[in-house]
Amino acid sequence: MTAHGDACFKLIILDSKPFTWETMIFEPGRFQFMDKPDQTRHVKPGTKKETLTREERQKQLEFQKEAVVHLNSLYNYALHLTMNPDDAEDLVQETYLKAYRFFNSFERGTNCKAWLFKILKNNYINRFRKNSKEPGKVDYDLIKDFYHSIKDVQNDTSEADSDYFHSLLHEEVYQALHSLPEEFREVIQLCDIEGFTYEEIANMVESPIGTVRSRLYRGRKLLREQLEGYAKKYGFNTDTDQ
Amino acid sequence: MNCQKARVLMSAAVDCELSLREEQVFLLHLSECQECKDELEEAKNTKMIIKEKIVQFKAPQTLINSIMELTSVTRLEQEDSVLFE
Repeated sequence: MTAHGDACFKLIILDSKPFTWETMIFEPGRFQFMDKPDQTRHVKPGTKKETLTREERQKQLEFQKEAVVHLNSLYNYALHLTMNPDDAEDLVQETYLKAYRFFNSFERGTNCKAWLFKILKNNYINRFRKNSKEPGKVDYDLIKDFYHSIKDVQNDTSEADSDYFHSLLHEEVYQALHSLPEEFREVIQLCDIEGFTYEEIANMVESPIGTVRSRLYRGRKLLREQLEGYAKKYGFNTDTDQ
Repeated sequence: MNCQKARVLMSAAVDCELSLREEQVFLLHLSECQECKDELEEAKNTKMIIKEKIVQFKAPQTLINSIMELTSVTRLEQEDSVLFE
C-alpha cells in the first residue's frame, strides 16, 4: 500500500455487521484499507490498473482460475456446517478473503478445493462452533424448515423404482445424514458429496487414513440404519408424494 | 482373510481406494463370502443415495459478486469511479 502525504485512506468494510474500533484490532479480516485517490489528478479508467504490479495481477487471475471456481461447493459445505444461509455466506466470504491473502502459501499442484475446505472448516470452528448449540443435538424442525426454505422447487415424483430407497425424500436423507455424529457425517460429506480422496480427507480432518476408512465404514452403516427406518415408516411404498 | 479384516477394507473398496494388494485379497474373500458381498453392495448403494439425494444449492448471486469483486483485476478502477461520481 502506498503511503500518501496526507495519510488519507478509505476504509472498506467487507460485511454488513456493526463495525467498531474493536473490529479493527480483533477482526482484521472484515475490512481493508484503500488509499484515497488523489482528487487533484483525474484518473482515466484503466490507468489505475497499471499501478497493480504484474505479480498482483497474475495472482488475481490465478486465484480466480484455481479458487473461485469452487464457490458453489464451498457454499454448500458452509450450509451443511452452519445450517443458516446468512452464516454460510459470511463463512464463504471470510474463507476467500483469507485464502486470497495467503494464496502464496497454497502449494501449487495440490487440490485447491481441499485447501479452501480446510480454511473454511477452521474459520467455522473459530467463529461459530464455540457459541452454537451443543454438538450432537439435532433440531429436526430446523432441518426441515431450512431445507424447505432454501430448496428450489423440484419435481420429486421420479419414476417408480423397485428399490424403496428411491422413494426417500431429499430432506429425509438430509435429516438422516445430520443425525449422525459429526465425525461420521463429516467424512461422508467430504467423500460422497465432494469427492475428495482419502488422503485429502485425512488431511482435512487431521486423522490418519485408517481412521477415515473406519469412520466411513461405520458412518455408512449408521446412515443405512437411519434410512431403513424411514423406508419402513412409509411401508416401503414408492408412491410417496411430497 | 476373515470378515473382520474385510470390513476394515470395505469403505476403501466402495471408493476405489484399495491398494492393488488389498484389492486382491479383498476380492478373494468376497468370492467366498456372500455376507461381505452383500455388505459391499449395501455400502455402495448408501453412497449412491447420498450422492443422488443431497441437493447442491447454487451460491446466491450477491455472494458470487462479492467474491468476484474481492479478486477482480478491475476492482480498484471500480472503486475509483464510485468515488469520482
